Amino acid sequence: MVDLRVNLAGVEMANPLLTASGTCGYADEYADLLDLRALGAFTTKSITLASRIGNEYPRVVETRAGMLNAIGLANIGLDRFVADKAPLLEKLGIPVFVNVAGVTVEDYVAVASRLEQVEAVRGIELNISCPNVKAGGIQFGTDPVQVCKVVSAVRNVCRKNVLIVKLSPNVTDIAVTARAAVEAGAQILSMINTFTAMAIDIETRKPILANNTGGLSGPAIRPIAVQMVHRVYSQVAKAAGVPIIGMGGIQFAHDAIEFLLAGASAVAVGTALFVDPGGVLAIKDGIAEYLTRHGHSRVSDIVGTLELNGRA
Amino acid sequence: MWRWPPTCNRFDGAWPKAYHALCMGSQRSTIARRGVFSAKVLENNQLCLDHYQLVLQLEAFPPCRAGQFVTVRCGQVEPIQAPREIQWQAGQLPELYGPELTGRQPLLRRPFSLAGRRDVGGKVELEIIHHVIGVGTAFLAEARRGDEIELLGPLGNGFDILPTGRAVVVGGGVGIPPMLYLAQQLTEAGKQVVAFAGARTRAVLPLTIGSAQPPSTAGWPGMCTAEFAARATPTVVATDDGSLGVAGFVSQALEQWLDREQPATDDLAVYACGPAPMMRAIATIALGRGYRCQVALERHMGCGLGTCQSCVVKVKSGDPADGGARPSVSAHPTGNAAQLTGNSVQPAWQYKLACKDGPVFDAADLVW
Ligand SMILES: Cc1cc2nc3c(=O)[nH]c(=O)nc-3n(C[C@H](O)[C@H](O)[C@H](O)COP(=O)(O)OP(=O)(O)OC[C@H]3O[C@@H](n4cnc5c(N)ncnc54)[C@H](O)[C@@H]3O)c2cc1C
Ligand SMILES: Cc1cc2nc3c(=O)[nH]c(=O)nc-3n(C[C@H](O)[C@H](O)[C@H](O)COP(=O)(O)O)c2cc1C
Ligand code: FES
Repeated sequence: MVDLRVNLAGVEMANPLLTASGTCGYADEYADLLDLRALGAFTTKSITLASRIGNEYPRVVETRAGMLNAIGLANIGLDRFVADKAPLLEKLGIPVFVNVAGVTVEDYVAVASRLEQVEAVRGIELNISCPNVKAGGIQFGTDPVQVCKVVSAVRNVCRKNVLIVKLSPNVTDIAVTARAAVEAGAQILSMINTFTAMAIDIETRKPILANNTGGLSGPAIRPIAVQMVHRVYSQVAKAAGVPIIGMGGIQFAHDAIEFLLAGASAVAVGTALFVDPGGVLAIKDGIAEYLTRHGHSRVSDIVGTLELNGRA
Repeated sequence: MWRWPPTCNRFDGAWPKAYHALCMGSQRSTIARRGVFSAKVLENNQLCLDHYQLVLQLEAFPPCRAGQFVTVRCGQVEPIQAPREIQWQAGQLPELYGPELTGRQPLLRRPFSLAGRRDVGGKVELEIIHHVIGVGTAFLAEARRGDEIELLGPLGNGFDILPTGRAVVVGGGVGIPPMLYLAQQLTEAGKQVVAFAGARTRAVLPLTIGSAQPPSTAGWPGMCTAEFAARATPTVVATDDGSLGVAGFVSQALEQWLDREQPATDDLAVYACGPAPMMRAIATIALGRGYRCQVALERHMGCGLGTCQSCVVKVKSGDPADGGARPSVSAHPTGNAAQLTGNSVQPAWQYKLACKDGPVFDAADLVW
């Protein structure tokens, strides 16, 4: 019998399967279609200090084996989250991570401090793929100096909550920002967020999304995400002992196992939840089956066990 | 060709009582029960050049009503099996695996309105009529009797049956299917219904034109389409190019009819589904003359389940949203931050979600 339990920086999870932020709302939306208790942990949609209405329509477009989204972080805001959603999450019975977004370091710190007082929350996931208005709109997540600033500021206010930093893939070398995050105190890395991308209506010569660009997710990005997880695992996370939550295009157990072998300790499903909300639980069974077939008893036995081909 | 119901011209009113109460109640609320269902293809009929009608059989399906929709997984999405040995023999190609490799697979589910429902012999028959425009609908067009199709639904809020004696249902092109279902439910509820069906040209009108009674070019309602006739609903057909029925937009045909009939404002309700400009024209006409008007909107959807916030519809503010976020004053200037736009002060409207709060909205509430 295999043991699917994983321990991420002290957070005990019954299995390595999580939801990716923004694809499962605040848990109540899917309650009837997906038994959330069967997941290892739950990650909420990004929360910002003030509520946000988000971008103009259209906000999503499907592309080959993927989709672009430019929701614009539409969310109910911190106050309503704490008042309306936190009580529901408390009943969930699995660890809850709240994804936090902002446009200044103070934003992140304010939200993180408040979430320290919310019992239902076990950890916060910093969405650093946001532009820093005080640093001229440059994305926090693309500049190691900004990453360091925001992560260490938030780390200072985290006592109860474990700090997850969600890396942006829109960088030249993701190991650089990963290292900055780890050095600034990230306890878990989650990777990756969506790739900035564009789809064009060639008849009107305009981008399809109202926001012009959007984030690419889904199976199309999986091979890149796997490579990035492997890079960060081997160059930063393994030595630092920081676990990785791998994500990007996971749809089936096969995909999740790729991430585990590449160095992720847990995996999150995003876009696949839209396609088959209940079906994602089969990923757990597939992982268990794989472990059995390969004579392993725990998930951690295979994490990072990728065997690279020798290079000339 | 499938008929509604198969043998008689008039629906015989055999809806289960409880179902009837649920669907016909004017109380507007999302029917809680929804789920993933496997459906067997009973029929796949080509209705016109590019519209197909699927008749699906399900072991069971929650109560539903016109205006609600289902999302369909339009493809054989098979999980990658545990890594298998690549079968390789001299002279043969290796067997590759992975859904990415098997051609363009639709990723997201495709939303389709229910065009009809029949509860027969303990099973449920659902009807979907779709317009082939891309990879997902092309897949559905090739469905064969006996194929299994996976549905998620029923989703969203359907049309309210408003307390009027008469009703007009207006469908433009691919907006016609939900109007067939609605005509069914309205006649069932004892309303006197007239349908208006519009298309660019005769070849793309997804209705079967009877030879006995062709559509009137002067806009007189008649039993001219098999589908609406089977729902005891006289119909006016309009085509933009005049190839069938009234020449012109369906909104013009409606206006003409209203001028002639002059229904009392509290005795007529107008229901519409179709391209945005059509619905807007219908809403302007109906509201301008004092009639209640409901429209079913189409939005590009990520999830169809109220999660991803992609299917936003601008609705006049007033009642607080129970779902999506409300417009609010930004805590920070957004500058040129592309990803963080949209935080302006907009007290006049709020976003609602087509998949959860709609797709049917009161036309008077919409910011067009
Ligand atoms: C509530 C609702 C009810 C609908 N009812 C019907 C119906 O009864 N009959 C019918 O023929 N069509 C209906 N549509 C439109 C239908 O969903 C699209 O035509 C269909 O998704 C196209 O898929 P495709 O793969 O063939 O096209 P593609 O162009 O290949 O699709 C690419 C992507 O765009 C999305 N998309 C394309 N066109 C539309 C559209 N008009 N609306 C929303 N998403 C779109 C697809 O879902 C997919 O994600 C409805 C849409 C909504 C939102
Ligand atoms: C519609 C949508 C909304 C998302 N919203 C957020 C968000 O609010 N915060 C965040 O950190 N990531 C968000 N993401 C990114 C996902 O959490 C995930 O990192 C990404 O989609 C890759 O995984 P996937 O391919 O399995 O979807 C969103 C993705 C999608 C598709
Ligand atoms: S389609 Fe996802 S919220 Fe409506």
